[in-house]
Amino acid sequence: MKPIVKEYELFIGPNHPGATGNMSYHIWVEGDKVKKAETRVGYLHRGFEKLMEKRIWMQNVPLVCRICVPEPDVNEAAYSMAVEDLMGWEIPERAKYIRTIILEMARLSAHLLTVGGIAASLGIYTAAQWGVGDRDYLLDVFEQITGARVYHIYIWPGGVRWDVPKNTKELLTKVLDYLEKRMPLYEDLIIKNKVFIRRAADVGVIPKDKAIKWGVTGPNLRSAGYQLDFRKLEPYAAYDKIDFEVPYYPKLGEYEVLSEGSDIYTRTAIRMLEMQQSINIIRQALKDMPEGDVLLKHPQWFAWKVPAGYSYVRVESSKGEFGYFVVSDGGKKPVRVHVRGPSYTHGINVMETIAKGLNVADFAPTAISLDVCPPDIER
Amino acid sequence: MMAKELFPEAQELRKGRIRIETTKDKVTEIVKKLKENGYEHFVMLSCVDWIKDGKFELVYHMWSYEYREHVMISIKVDRDGDSMVTLRDLFPQIETYEREIHEMFGVNFVGNPRLGEFILEGWPHMPPMRKDFDTEKFVNEIYYKIPEVKEE
Amino acid sequence: MTLNHDDWGKVARMMSKRSLWMVHFCTGCGAMEMPPVMTSRYDMERFGMHAMATPRQADVFLVTGYLAVKTLKRVVQVYEQMRDPKYVIGFGSCTINGGMYWDSYNTIKDLSKYIPVDVYIAGCMPRPEAIIDSFLKLMDMIDKGEAIGWKKYHKYYDQYKRNQRMAYSYRLDEVEDIKEDDAK
Repeated sequence: MKPIVKEYELFIGPNHPGATGNMSYHIWVEGDKVKKAETRVGYLHRGFEKLMEKRIWMQNVPLVCRICVPEPDVNEAAYSMAVEDLMGWEIPERAKYIRTIILEMARLSAHLLTVGGIAASLGIYTAAQWGVGDRDYLLDVFEQITGARVYHIYIWPGGVRWDVPKNTKELLTKVLDYLEKRMPLYEDLIIKNKVFIRRAADVGVIPKDKAIKWGVTGPNLRSAGYQLDFRKLEPYAAYDKIDFEVPYYPKLGEYEVLSEGSDIYTRTAIRMLEMQQSINIIRQALKDMPEGDVLLKHPQWFAWKVPAGYSYVRVESSKGEFGYFVVSDGGKKPVRVHVRGPSYTHGINVMETIAKGLNVADFAPTAISLDVCPPDIER
Repeated sequence: MMAKELFPEAQELRKGRIRIETTKDKVTEIVKKLKENGYEHFVMLSCVDWIKDGKFELVYHMWSYEYREHVMISIKVDRDGDSMVTLRDLFPQIETYEREIHEMFGVNFVGNPRLGEFILEGWPHMPPMRKDFDTEKFVNEIYYKIPEVKEE
Repeated sequence: MTLNHDDWGKVARMMSKRSLWMVHFCTGCGAMEMPPVMTSRYDMERFGMHAMATPRQADVFLVTGYLAVKTLKRVVQVYEQMRDPKYVIGFGSCTINGGMYWDSYNTIKDLSKYIPVDVYIAGCMPRPEAIIDSFLKLMDMIDKGEAIGWKKYHKYYDQYKRNQRMAYSYRLDEVEDIKEDDAK
């Protein structure tokens, strides 16, 4: 019997198409196979870049962290680094270590959400519950250090806002020990789970030869087989003084190498390995942290005049390369701040390309395994 | 070859940041040449509005993993009705940046089939990222003027 | 003992306040604090609350943060699909007066101009405790019969619709029906 409807259109979203935010996909389906996909964005557009041109340099700090909600600290760090670059400031050594700790905590909490999310989109809801629950322990430490759970506004141009409390080391060590103990459980539940492997291996593949050409960065690039990490390539904060490994395909440590290149399985495995490295980095940074000032003695905020020039700084976020292009004409306000979100390429071009040939049921897991965060696409 | 060797006119902003100022017609060639010489990661395309000069500055950012160097290729186009050739054949992701700049600034990219509504929906005014668009005035005139629901 | 009409209303309200289902439509930053509230740590299921994928089976709409005009269209559509009685919680400063984005050209400033809001939560971003407190407040209001936003929407439908159209078209003078493009 001939099927009555050969081809049909599906609208996924704007509510949770496998991304942390509102974004939708318009897909054309034949049978169960996706023929074509188009990304529709703009549900979270707030015009940040316009607002930043209207505010003085310091007023932009509380604004930038709202660009990526699951991992706000990378924005603060990148914006601060851009201002410091234009001003020619060198921040105190202790502040660099504190920034490293904060950024790695942010990476851990973002990865916990993503790994849980990938598993949940394949039916393992326990993992999502665990991910969110364990992330809360990190948020508690954030609260102790910065005073807020989600938006910390802790990293400022010139250093960090205040010194960490005296008991930070004990607090963090306790949480890290706990997370380290939990890692084998996550592995059993996700990576070593036969059901997960059957669903995730060889699905949504980014070919190795295309990855760089498409502008893929971060864990997605590393899972395609490149050991490239901006923490190593262009060290910022205190990453040049810390000894850590960059996990990449096919060196997946104790996990089996099951597939060719970057599929859902490898992307999850790389994130699991990165979490272990983050724990390692925080431990080292806590141990090596020197004493001293945490904030540069700089002029009064309202009087800042940033020298004219162009600056591009980049930070390795949990999703990929987060870049800030800042242009100043020597005035009190920036002329232009352009944010390069990692999801910009992952969510639109890469997803539209690799979606072809996917099953409909594999669409959302693929989208979430790319770790697409819509607010940094449209800003 | 590194950007400095390829283009002697390039200016070094700091270590690992190169800036090349050029003209509209040479961009395609430069981007192609850099791509063949190891600058294989296209970072982004951004646009700066220099309203006093009546120009938009388009900045093509490229990065080389091999040399650890970031190149900004900068060109100026007129603010009114000027257009630029699309480079989507060289790097597929440029298409999206061009769509955004077309919507937010109004620069036309010849050869890009997907220009049109991207982020905004039914936007009737001038492209919002232009400097002469005053967002505060717009908000006061529209959103704060929308009447509250009167209850009898 | 016989129960008259008013008494039955009381019973119905008592029942419904303990089984509030929430539309799983998370928008804006506030969506980030919803997972902790939904999962084990803050556990909103102990109040009989649950996230529900379809608006037709839901009672509460949590508008979690700023709304871009493009999202407002979807929010209104979802709100109109919900069955009465329905309640709206405005989440965070952005729904009250625009919050951080008071001068942004693409976010609406005051949610109550477009759909009726029963409870507001202040803050950016509100803590999970505040969210739970707002649920309790809403339950209390339902019990007392004070959560009447949905009745207002029926009564002043024309005014709400007019405001919505103004926002959709980014203009004040042109109040006309714009084309409905649904599922995009």
